[in-house]
Formats: sequence, C-alpha cells, structure tokens
Amino acid sequence: MDFTLSEERKMLQETVGKFFNSNYKNIDKRSENVNLPEGYSKEFWKESSDLGVISALVSPKFGGLGGSGEDISIIFELVGKSLCVEPFLSSAVLSSTVLSSISNPRNDLITDIIEGNLLISFAHCEMNNRYEDHYIETNAYLKNDEWNINGTKSFVMNGDDASKIIVSARINGDVNDRHGIGLFLVDNDQTLKRPYNTIDGYRSTELTFEDLKGELLAKDENALKCIIKANSAGALALSAEALGIMQICFDLTLDYLKTRKQFGKSIGAFQSIQHRMVDMMLEIEQVKSAVMLASSTFETDDLTRDKNISAAKNLVGRVGKLIAEETIQLHGGIAMTWEYSAAHYAKRLIMIDHLMGDSDYHRDRFKLLSNS
Amino acid sequence: MVIKMNFEYSEKDENFRKEVKDWLDETLPKSLSEKVKKYQRLTKEDYEIFMNNLTAKGWLAWHWPKEYGGTGWNAIEKHIFEEEIIKASAPRIVPFGVNMLGPVLIEFGTEEQKNYYLPRILSNEDWWAQGYSEPGAGSDLASLKTTAVDKGDHYLVNGQKTWTTLGHHADKIFCLVKTDLNAKPQLGISFLLIDMDTPGVEVKPIITLDGEHEVNEVWFTNVKVPKKNIVGKENEGWTYAKYLLTFERTGIAGVPYSKSALNHLKMISKRSLKNGKPLIEDPIFSSEIAELEIDLLAMEIFNLRTVSAAAEGKAPGMESSLLKIKGTLVRQKTTELLRKALGPQALPYLPEQFDEGWNEMPVGPSYAGPIAKQYFNMRKISIYGGSNEIQKNIVAKASFGL
Ligand SMILES: Cc1cc2nc3c(=O)[nH]c(=O)nc-3n(C[C@H](O)[C@H](O)[C@H](O)COP(=O)(O)OP(=O)(O)OC[C@H]3O[C@@H](n4cnc5c(N)ncnc54)[C@H](O)[C@@H]3O)c2cc1C
Repeated sequence: MDFTLSEERKMLQETVGKFFNSNYKNIDKRSENVNLPEGYSKEFWKESSDLGVISALVSPKFGGLGGSGEDISIIFELVGKSLCVEPFLSSAVLSSTVLSSISNPRNDLITDIIEGNLLISFAHCEMNNRYEDHYIETNAYLKNDEWNINGTKSFVMNGDDASKIIVSARINGDVNDRHGIGLFLVDNDQTLKRPYNTIDGYRSTELTFEDLKGELLAKDENALKCIIKANSAGALALSAEALGIMQICFDLTLDYLKTRKQFGKSIGAFQSIQHRMVDMMLEIEQVKSAVMLASSTFETDDLTRDKNISAAKNLVGRVGKLIAEETIQLHGGIAMTWEYSAAHYAKRLIMIDHLMGDSDYHRDRFKLLSNS
Repeated sequence: MVIKMNFEYSEKDENFRKEVKDWLDETLPKSLSEKVKKYQRLTKEDYEIFMNNLTAKGWLAWHWPKEYGGTGWNAIEKHIFEEEIIKASAPRIVPFGVNMLGPVLIEFGTEEQKNYYLPRILSNEDWWAQGYSEPGAGSDLASLKTTAVDKGDHYLVNGQKTWTTLGHHADKIFCLVKTDLNAKPQLGISFLLIDMDTPGVEVKPIITLDGEHEVNEVWFTNVKVPKKNIVGKENEGWTYAKYLLTFERTGIAGVPYSKSALNHLKMISKRSLKNGKPLIEDPIFSSEIAELEIDLLAMEIFNLRTVSAAAEGKAPGMESSLLKIKGTLVRQKTTELLRKALGPQALPYLPEQFDEGWNEMPVGPSYAGPIAKQYFNMRKISIYGGSNEIQKNIVAKASFGL
C-alpha cells in the first residue's frame, strides 16, 4: 500500500491548482463567470485545455494523458476548491467516459473535447428518473434506417452551449426495464432548449427532442454499462469536488473562529465550538479516505468500482450536510450573506447531494453491491 | 390556564377555530395567500393588507392584555389562531412592533409612550425594526458600540446596527445604545426609540445567500433623538432587552410552520417517484418522515405546556430556550427532507419565479422551485433570536448548578 501521490501527480496538482486560483481569485470573479451568456468562461475553458487539464481526465488509450481515478480526483478536488463552473463534469468526464466505453470508441470526438473545440453534454436524467441508471421514458425508433428520438431530458449540464448531446433513450421494453436502452449522439441545434441556472450557480438545461435524428452509439447491455460507468465516474468526480469544498469550508471556518471575538475572546476559544471543529475534521478525514479508495479502484472490475464509489458518494452526502450546515452556523450571520464565499461553498456542497445519486441512492446501491 | 391531562380540544376551542378559519376565508385575499404559498416576494403593502384586516377585527395584538387592545386569549386560543393563519397561508405578522416592542412598552413604558405608540402599533401606522445586533456585537450583544450622548434635550446617536430585518420598510427602530461609555458591558445600555426619517439615518441592503433582500445595515451619523424617546430608565436597557428576547424566542419555535411543512412534505413524497413508485413507499424515507412527525407531536405539547405556564403569569424562561433550540432544529429538518424528497428537481433556480404575477411554466413540478431556497434561508433560525449555542449556555447556566 502506498498513500502518497507520485511526483507527476503532485506536479499536476500544483500546476492546475495555481492556474485555477489565478482565474477564480474570489467569489466575485466566480459570479462573473456564472453570469456569462453560457454560464461559464469559454476563455478559461480554452486555457484549461491548453494547459492539459481536460486531457488529464482522459486515458492515453483515447488520446488523453491521464484518466485514472486518481487523476479525476486530483482535478476535481481543485474544481471544488475554486468552485469552477466550467463543463469539466458534463463534457470532460461524463461524455468522454461514454465515448471511450462504447464498443467502437470515438477517439475523434474525444480529441476534439480535449482540445477544447467541442462540447458534448450527456443527457440521461429525466424529470422523473431521479438517480436511476435505467429508468428511461425518452424513446427512439428506427424508420428508413434512421433513428428518431422523442422525449425530454432534464438537468442536462451545459446542455445549452454544447454542440452535440449524448442521449439515453428507450428502444424497447418498459420504462423501468434494464434492457432495451440505447445511447445516441445528436446535434444540439435541432433541440428545444430551456436553459437555467441551478441554485448553486451551474448551468443546466431542459432539452426536448421531436423526431430528432440520432446516431446509435451503443445499445442494450453495452449501453447500460456505459451509463453506469459514466454516472459512477461522475459520482467519483463530484465526491472529490465535495472533498475540496469541505477543506475550504473547514479552513474558512477555522480562520473565522480565530479572528471573530465575542465575550472578550475569539469564539474558537469556546470548547463546545472546538469539539464541533474536531467532529468536522474527523469526518473530512473519513471522506478523504473514502475518495482515495474509490479513486484507486476506479479501473478495477465494475462491482468493486461501483461499490467503492457508492461508499464515497454516500459519505459525501452525509458529511457534506454536516460541513455545510456547521460552516454556516459557526460563522453566524455573516455566512448567510451572498457577499461571503462560505455561503457559496455551502450551497454547492449541499447541492452535490442532488447530482448523480444522493446519499440514500448510494446507500441502497452499496447495500446491493456489497451483498451480491 | 393549565392543560389538564386532557389533550382534546373542547367544543369551545373548536368553535373558536372555526371562527378564525371562517374569518380568514372571508377576508384574506386569494391573490395574497397564493403569493405566500408560492414563496413570492411580499411587498410592504402585502403585509399591511393582512395586518390591517387583523386590526379591524381586533386580533392584531393577540398576546397583549385586553386593556391595551389585546385579545385576552388563553394559551390554547393563541395556539389555534397561529395554526390557522399559517394553514391559510397568510403573510406573517411582522413581529417587531406588536410582538416585541409592544410588550416592553406595556411593562416599562411611560403613560405618554403607551398612549402614543401602542395605538400606532395597533393601527399599523408605524412599522418597527429591531436594532439590537451590530457588526461587533452578535451573540455578545452587551458589547454593543452604538453611542447615545446626552446633549440636554436630546441624545446624539452614532454607530451602526446590522442584520436589521425588513429595516427597508421601517418607519421606526428600537435600538440598544450605550449611554454610559465607561460602564462595563450590560451596564450603561439604554433602550431608545428612533425615527428612521431623522437626518443621519441610512439604510443599506444586505443580500442573503438565497439572493434575497430581507436584512439591512442601519447607520447612524449624528442622529438627534429626543430624550423622551428613551424607554424606562437610562442605563438599564439591558433588562428590557432581555425581557423582549423571551418573547422573540417562543415564536421562533414555529410549531405550526413545521406542521404545515410536514403536510407539504407528505404531499410531495407522494408525487415524487423513486424507481417509478411514490417516494413515500420507500421504507427508509417514510421512516424519516415518521420520526420527524413524532418529534413534532411531542414538541407541540411541549410548546403548549410552556405557553400555558406563561399564561399563568410565569415568565417564559428556560423552557423558551429549550423550545427555541428544538423548534428550529425540527423546522430545519422539514426543509431538509423537502429538499431530499425532490431529488434533482431541487436544482433549478429561477429568481423571477418569486416575482408577483410570474406565470410561466416552472421547471419541474410547481412546488419544486422554492424548496432549496427555503432550505438555505432557514439556516438563519438557529442563528438569530439568540443562537442555539447561546441558548444552551443560558440553560446550562440557569439550571445545572455546575
Ligand atoms: C437573517 C437574519 C435576520 C436577523 N434579524 C435581526 C434583526 O432584525 N435585528 C437584530 O438586531 N438582529 C438580527 N439578526 C442578528 C442575529 O441576532 C445575530 O446574527 C445573532 O445574534 C448571532 O450573532 P452573529 O451573527 O454576530 O454571530 P456570532 O455571535 O459572531 O457567533 C458566531 C458563532 O459563534 C457561536 N458562539 C458565540 N458565542 C459563543 C459562546 N459563548 N459559546 C458557544 N458558542 C458561541 C454562535 O452561536 C455562532 O455559532 C439577524 C440575523 C440573521 C442571520
């Protein structure tokens, strides 16, 4: 066992960390990016690509320079620390995972993503499928040798700005069947879009398809496998992002406890407060450990991968709530303000539990996988 | 009155409930209760419509003694009243004048102050704000720095208050100020009534984490306040301030709010799907709801026990602190489960949805929009009114003899 990062990864961490910090200097700068027409900075996205941040999320087999569980975790911990709103998750993790996991991997598209020239969003969620991998109402049928897709996809991250969309759709069977699912690539210019921001500042979109022509990427067992893998990769990325946020929340709170004086001393001098900081600290160590484990088994068999990712994401949901709520409570009124960064970190941390499976979903999935 | 070991409402209570309900049906404009239901932003006029109706009916000052224009209701009646106005989705009664300052004036004000201010509170002519907290004085309120210097016929006030809820609507503000600069904390504080339109008073908005304008900074620069505006004795304001806080606390427990949120949670859990089935059929989630309901059931009785004791003349003391802690935690738990029940539907945030008259299609079900926002907003209730940590300090100090 070795719990330290390799020299190469340490360098990656340092370079990317510096780069993120230089753009995301403070919460006002982030708000600027949130308020851009696309909901993120295209310039920063292109620079990230030039620096190799996107390629660090993709395996050398498909034209990248990284793509291991550790790479994903390193980058996303930093995404969390800066609260970056760029399409790292939607395009660089979810879509490239699908494109590399299908029987005929699409290195051409992956290369375009890595180079920052192409944005592809993954449209799997629907209004009523909660966090399920296989519950799909959107449907696809074959007519004159062409696939036609009908339905509405929800909460599609960066679904307004992406030029292409990967859509999961039902080819046959019931909405809740595990077979009969297809994955399709469609052009986004023909879709009906309703973009909006989420409460934590990320761009999302409702996408509606009416007899939209799509290219079949995978079907049946392979399609479901790809969806599960993409969602697991996403859950791993979000877990690492949450870990980064938790560390910032902890640091901000500790700093504040040292400087804020009430009753003639720093509020951190009260033992009841110190105990709560210790609780936060040990829970963050737990999360860190679970994320490390999940990263290290990302390339093993599907069962081990998903079980450990579910463990991490479940813990992130539970501990995330603790850290977000304690961060606000221990700061007092100041953390209730828009102006102060802690509020934004807390919001993201809470809302991460509403993406790619919440703590309940992953607890249930863990139960299934660990008893199978 | 004492609650006998009888937890049924009497026929008289039920009749009273019906009277309140019928009155609300008749007088509360549908457009207003719709706005409240949708968590839309309320204007000053929205609050006033409801409060003026209460004034006309003689129900605004529902905890004042009858002789001052109060209702003289007993604890059960007050509880029923509060429950019904929340069930009807009425705007909240802005508490600063009627629930906070009123009782202080009744107890400690001069005849002249009572005769002047109480009728104006009862008629909603004055909108009051609470000027307690300062940037440097939150939990440690007694360390406040705003000064009022005696200039013969007036005080000269300088300093800054903060977190002033709805201060942007207020005509008047009651403030804690330091009148003896050399005195130790808690001594040398006075309770002063200040007109917001006096030269030198400036209100600046604070935007909260949910993007809303609810609280403010209030700045005082050489503000002249007539000496007759002091409540009680100079330098003894701390006593009045604490008296007021016990009234503030019991309200924050918010049992009826939690009850109404619980019903909302059950409704949403029936509509939200998990794997194609209603979420309420999920054994773990429904157990969480059940435990919340159990907490609430017990807390309702706890609350009634406390208000009944208060009605017997015992000042709400330690129990109000305990209730405040438990009440806020339960209320926050309702907002958490509501958020969880929605799953990803909690994500979209359309700020324009909270404007009056917005009638576009929401993203997802119509009940989803306000839920996450409300969860974040409700973080405040364990911070204000004396934070939960401070309540614990109070209880431990007062009752353990350690
Ligand atoms: C939305 C909102 C509305 C408000 N409205 C009003 C208003 O209308 N008028 C008004 O006057 N005020 C208002 N307040 C202010 C509120 O009363 C204060 O925020 C509160 O008293 C806490 O003070 P603080 O925010 O300065 O936190 P601090 O006092 O700095 O406390 C920070 C943290 O330290 C903890 N702490 C402090 N001392 C101790 C101790 N001795 N032991 C253990 N823990 C401790 C606190 O519990 C808290 O968790 C409002 C606040 C909010 C958030």
